[in-house]
Amino acid sequence: MAAKRVVVVGGGTAGWMTAAAVASLLPGRCDVHLVESEAIGIVGVGEATLPHIRSFNERLGIDEADFMAATRATFKLGIEFVDWGRIGDSYIHPFGTFGPGTGEIDFHQFWLRLRQQGLGVPDLDHFSMACTMARMNRFALPSTDPRRLESTFGYAYQFDATLYAPYLRAIAEARGARRTEGRIVAVHRDGESGDVVSVQLEDGSRIEGDLFVDCSGFVSLLLDKTLGEPFEDWSKWLLNDRAAAMPCRTEGAVTPFTGVIAMPYGWRWRIPLQHRTGNGYVFSSQFLSEEEAMRAIEAAAEGEKIADPRVLRFKAGRRRRSWVHNCVGVGLASGFLEPLESTSIYLIQQAITALLELFPDGAITGVERDEYNRLIDLEYDRIRDFLILHYHATERADTPYWDYVRTMEIPDTLAEKMELFRRRGRVVKYREGVFLDASWVAVYLGQRVIPQGHDLRADAPSAESLVAGMRKLAGDIQGIAAGMEDHGAYLRRYCPMREAA
Amino acid sequence: MREVVVAGGGLLGWSVAAALRRKLPALSVTVLPLAPPPDALVERIGSTLPSIGDFHHDLGLGEGDAVFGGGCSFRLATEFAGWTADRPPYVHAYDRYGQALGTASFHIHWVRQTRLGQTAPFDAFSAAAQMARAGRFILPQDDPTSPLAHFGFGLALDPVRYPQMMRTYALHLGAQERRGELAGVRLRGDDGFVEALDLDDGTSLAADLFVDCTGPRALLRGVLDQDFEDWSAWLPCDRLLLADAAPAADPSPLDRCIAHPAGWSWAAEARARTSHGLAYASAALGDDQAAAMLQIQSGAEPAAPVAIRQGRRPEPWLRNCVAIGDAATMVEPLEWTNLHLAHSAIDRLVAMMPDRDCAAVELWDFNRQCAAETARVRDFLALHYRTSNRTEPFWVELRQAPPPDSLAHTLRLFAERGRLPFYEDETFSRDSWLAVLLGQGVIPAYVDPLIDTVAPAESARAMAAMRDTIARLVPALPTQAQFLANAQRQPAR
Repeated sequence: MAAKRVVVVGGGTAGWMTAAAVASLLPGRCDVHLVESEAIGIVGVGEATLPHIRSFNERLGIDEADFMAATRATFKLGIEFVDWGRIGDSYIHPFGTFGPGTGEIDFHQFWLRLRQQGLGVPDLDHFSMACTMARMNRFALPSTDPRRLESTFGYAYQFDATLYAPYLRAIAEARGARRTEGRIVAVHRDGESGDVVSVQLEDGSRIEGDLFVDCSGFVSLLLDKTLGEPFEDWSKWLLNDRAAAMPCRTEGAVTPFTGVIAMPYGWRWRIPLQHRTGNGYVFSSQFLSEEEAMRAIEAAAEGEKIADPRVLRFKAGRRRRSWVHNCVGVGLASGFLEPLESTSIYLIQQAITALLELFPDGAITGVERDEYNRLIDLEYDRIRDFLILHYHATERADTPYWDYVRTMEIPDTLAEKMELFRRRGRVVKYREGVFLDASWVAVYLGQRVIPQGHDLRADAPSAESLVAGMRKLAGDIQGIAAGMEDHGAYLRRYCPMREAA
Repeated sequence: MREVVVAGGGLLGWSVAAALRRKLPALSVTVLPLAPPPDALVERIGSTLPSIGDFHHDLGLGEGDAVFGGGCSFRLATEFAGWTADRPPYVHAYDRYGQALGTASFHIHWVRQTRLGQTAPFDAFSAAAQMARAGRFILPQDDPTSPLAHFGFGLALDPVRYPQMMRTYALHLGAQERRGELAGVRLRGDDGFVEALDLDDGTSLAADLFVDCTGPRALLRGVLDQDFEDWSAWLPCDRLLLADAAPAADPSPLDRCIAHPAGWSWAAEARARTSHGLAYASAALGDDQAAAMLQIQSGAEPAAPVAIRQGRRPEPWLRNCVAIGDAATMVEPLEWTNLHLAHSAIDRLVAMMPDRDCAAVELWDFNRQCAAETARVRDFLALHYRTSNRTEPFWVELRQAPPPDSLAHTLRLFAERGRLPFYEDETFSRDSWLAVLLGQGVIPAYVDPLIDTVAPAESARAMAAMRDTIARLVPALPTQAQFLANAQRQPAR
């Protein structure tokens, strides 16, 4: 069988993740050729990720400490949401469970029962290993023994995306991927099938391929500009269409979590890396001008700024199909969801995983395309509802922006989920999907969606034994976290960044 | 929610009562023990899936209670014979088939080797399938590296002792029994909720919630509406015959399902009886002929034929009345899902117990999960028919109907790519789907490219080693009778 010619259109995080994965995992079957232009900037700012990225790196044989040193990465145990339910509120959405993570009844049900009985129990985040470590600025790798509390948290990274792409590039090229520098000026299609045959560069040369992966970012050169795949617009629920990004020097401790702080017309991120802190104001241009947003992020960000703010533009939604003809969109070319829950790289990774598993042999048939699109839609749709929840579950009424999101009509799928939780704290269960029960519980309770009742099974134990058990659990978690190393010290020992060249 | 009435007195009604009392002791539970009708398959089909072990465990019943107290024995797998004309019988065990090599799952290696013409049947790579074939049984081993560590096993129930045990247990947990016959179902005028059951002695039973375990006629839930989703286009058998023969001295843990020109028959050995049955389409086979066939197979006199209508109620739970078992979903016993679906609904009922108002949103989630689960069970059963290549009219006609969308997608993706799509609320594992698909000769046209990193010779060596290990282990294991005798001598686990 002749090797399939895979042309990756665009470098950046999506492009190099794709090239590295295809070259590593389908050796001999593919000939990978990536086209990028240094004249086109990449969107990557400071990037916060989800725990899934660890399995991606592992599959590629990447050494964690080496990767973290190269990308100046820090550990991430969750996200702290500030000012979301009400101004002054703060909660952490942790990677991990509440309680010991075992048993058929969710831990939060027992907690709800005690609260509803009027018995004093600490806030739910005292029962999360990840939340407690994050608040105390501690870090250790999780245990693999499921009986230990140290196994009840997960972690991800915060890293410099502009360094991750070159890191992957070296891997991809070492495994046979080719790279061509150049700007694409034309895309040629087969007159009969409509498939893309080649892309043409400024110098007139053409790069032919059997399968094209569109990693061209918001431009969506193949899916949108060439094939005209329609865009499903979700901006009536996810209003934000701009971000003003600005890096600063890190002041104070390097936190093992991402900060997400609600603002009058959106929210801002705070992503601590080893060498700097990324900041950005994600906002809606209906309510705030770009100039105002730049001034606002300069005023809000802590630490001395390293560069002036720059504005990125986007729209929430996804292409109706991500794989059309012989073109597969990966990353922003296929859709965009604001980075509120750090899903950008996760979505790239899921797209690549699906592509590898459904990699076509010979002619592309409908079956792999349909399955691919089904999988990608599922991911986007579930994340969409989870993001909308953050806006809708609020009591904020301080600006017209918050008035709108608080009162807007939400998708039925989300309305049903919220109503179920309000009644007795039930979370609609999925076995797969990115955000599982604990994530939903964290956001609901953190944003004041308080159930009226609880699971009746939680009434079985006596109140005294529950209260005593919870006290002990919170104490154990506190004690274990206190014995862990400081996050900054851990980084300096484990993966100190290399000096800038 | 304070008071629950369970209508139905077979093993199902008592299982519901036991689960409610055990998990939600604040509820008062009263059982109206109506005798189960002959078409309540949950009561009559003795073979069960491994999930019954979890159900017992959650109820606080140990293996000893169920097996020795309830007269059960063990079952490991089902053998399917004659489903495809030109292929040998295959075994569906609840086991891991083979082990992944490199970055590709095992079945991808198996398909590649099959294409090269050099491999054993797929079930040669399941220890439980081979144990079942050899009539051997042991419990799964704790050591995760053992090939005997990854299988599940079902139970074969004693149709008399098991319901008795469950009744005793439910009463022990505090369930009440109220004897009587049902005279009527009284609805509240304002909202159509069930207010009370009128009994033949002139008294009535009021409650906040009514659980209907009365079989396909759904004597309670059927009063609220008669909506029914018919599956006969995909599951064409509409008659069932059963015959019980004397138990075997050493009951095989392998049940057998044999395809016939107009349906299929089974033989399932247990400690209490050997259960025989025949599922068929009345349009293609007369009742007398069917009875004669089953008599020859079983050597016993079949009971009267039972008419079945396969399908489900789209909303098993409406207002304050929830249907469980045959009252909710009715499927033929192929793959033994009848009691499994009922247990699964009981677990859901316990976990989702709402307030007295039975808010629509809570019922919606219950019904949604039931729908997703039963749809995939339907698909799995229909798969057996769909992938048959038998040429009798019964089989040919059935292949002309388009399969349900989710099954069509599964078949297309598998036939072309060797891949199984993910669905929520799937009853059967990937290995189960593979056992049937590959056993029935659905060989993917193209396999996952992730296999490239392992050379065929390497796959062949590893696969031969797996097979040899299983073949060496199995003959040393006890037979079911030996196992039971040993277990009874030892203190219960």
